[in-house]
Amino acid sequence: MNLKVEQIDACRWRIPRQGVMRTEGLVFANRRMMEELRKEQALEQVANVATLPGIVGPSIAMPDIHWGYGFPIGGVAAFDPDEGIVSPGGVGYDINCGVRLLRSALSAGDAVPRLKELADALFRNIPSGVGSHRRDLKLSIQEERKVLRKGASWAVEQGFGSAEDLNHIEEGGTIAEADPELVSDRALERGRAQLGTLGSGNHFIEIQQVEEIMDTRAADCLGLFAGQLTVSIHTGSRGFGYQVCDDYLRTMLRAAQKYGISLPDRQLCCAPLTSPEASQYLAAMACAANFAFANRQLITAWVRESFQQVLALGPADLRLSVIYDVCHNIAKWETHQVQGRPRRLCVHRKGATRAFPPGHPETPELYRQVGQPVLIPGDMGRYSYVLVGTATAFAETFGSTCHGAGRVLSRHAAKNQARGRDIVAELAKKGILIRAAGRATVAEEIPEAYKDVRDVVGVVEQAGIGKIVARLKPLAVIKG
Amino acid sequence: MPEAGGYRLLEHTADIGLEIWGRSLNIFFEQAGEGLRDILFGPVSGTPEICRRIEVSGQDSGQLLVNWLNEFLFLWETENLIPVEINVIEASPDHMVAWVGGIFFDPARHGIEREIKAATYHQLQVKEENGEWRGRIFLDL
Repeated sequence: MNLKVEQIDACRWRIPRQGVMRTEGLVFANRRMMEELRKEQALEQVANVATLPGIVGPSIAMPDIHWGYGFPIGGVAAFDPDEGIVSPGGVGYDINCGVRLLRSALSAGDAVPRLKELADALFRNIPSGVGSHRRDLKLSIQEERKVLRKGASWAVEQGFGSAEDLNHIEEGGTIAEADPELVSDRALERGRAQLGTLGSGNHFIEIQQVEEIMDTRAADCLGLFAGQLTVSIHTGSRGFGYQVCDDYLRTMLRAAQKYGISLPDRQLCCAPLTSPEASQYLAAMACAANFAFANRQLITAWVRESFQQVLALGPADLRLSVIYDVCHNIAKWETHQVQGRPRRLCVHRKGATRAFPPGHPETPELYRQVGQPVLIPGDMGRYSYVLVGTATAFAETFGSTCHGAGRVLSRHAAKNQARGRDIVAELAKKGILIRAAGRATVAEEIPEAYKDVRDVVGVVEQAGIGKIVARLKPLAVIKG
Repeated sequence: MPEAGGYRLLEHTADIGLEIWGRSLNIFFEQAGEGLRDILFGPVSGTPEICRRIEVSGQDSGQLLVNWLNEFLFLWETENLIPVEINVIEASPDHMVAWVGGIFFDPARHGIEREIKAATYHQLQVKEENGEWRGRIFLDL
């Protein structure tokens, strides 16, 4: 498929309406990224999303865009409540995969001498996945339903963290529309087995150092200082979310037929937002989102526990507190200005992050002057970034920005490049300690397998859809 | 690997795929299961400790393949079971029954190669050609 693409400016490209597209595509990328993109099918996917009924504004692609199932990863699309659709493929299998960033009172220098012990403690205290569980977390199906309704606040009620944490999580850590009656027994079984686990692949916990502050005012507001020790947690809704997605893909395949929606790609299956199928999916998706918020809240408590154990410091000295927690696979009802008037829209973000501007009521009070924090993980050998949302993002991308780096090498190709190399030793030379549970994981996750996140956030800042606050350097990476 | 069927791994930027073939639909599904086990655990063998009867349906043979492989993921995640013997006793384009002999995951003996989120519908294909069943499926890692 030879798509016509026009350059708008140094970091914006338009895919004009062509074929059966109902709207245009808007891609944030620099020239080099666009050359790469033309070689793979992500742009076709941006165009495919633009064919869906009731789409409002353009089909948007972030600079970390890459090919995904149906919707590209790094895509944003908003739909009208009466004419539009909801699509599980526009959210992804890992519903509410997201990132949480913790600040501390420590300088990285305080922790570096004990880094290996800290990494070991995190590895020991936080189960990675199948076959490993915390003995102090036993979940009945009944209790699990409470997790699905309450999200992070369930975890706080059980003694994992404090109410203060909830003020610094997207949605306060709970999406209210969750209805556990709308998830399958199968999803409940998978969820029960996996609540409180990290997962593997590109999920991780990272101990970091604030390497550079780019925006002093915003950094002060976010409680970040140069040389500070921070911790990132990247994980999602585990098997629970994957099952909800699989279950509702089946529902939506039937629904698309039932409602006569023609699909250029089966994985774009969807239902009208006015349909019962749509409400059911959103209520089930909210359960999965809440599962993920609870999961990150549990893991936060165990991160605090690990630091207390190793450094023999109490909470008042460590002050490991939540800067923010963001989703990057989600669909949400939000109000946005469209051609001068406010409209309620169902915004899909798959591999994209909400980035609300200064002054927005959903930006936590503490940050309202500078904008909602946005947490962008890089790959395990390089850096991560902290950004804040902007008015430009709110105007152009439904308040959205990128989510990370995106893969460039297949796992097979990565393993080939890693062959004969001692990746763990290479990272150690850079001052990065890695602890991984899965055998293939380290080779498949080598830095070269990913785009350079610096380029991605560079385009974001150039386009004005995010403002860089700080760069974080990894010190230790714990992977499932 | 029996000549009556087989599988190979397909490269993909973010995920992994399987190309599968079998002289019969039964063998096709058995090979699909073996391929998934290979992706999850690498080479594994053993005498089954437990047997499970699995029955799966689908709107068409593609969805049947998706549901079949997702069934394995469910058993793995909820019971820590590795399938070591897979016998498909009934197979038609929208329904199948299999007996799966499994061993329980033992961290001392077994390693996990990868975590798979789900079998997906991407470029999904199952068709009969020249007396052989051939198919392709991608897995979200």
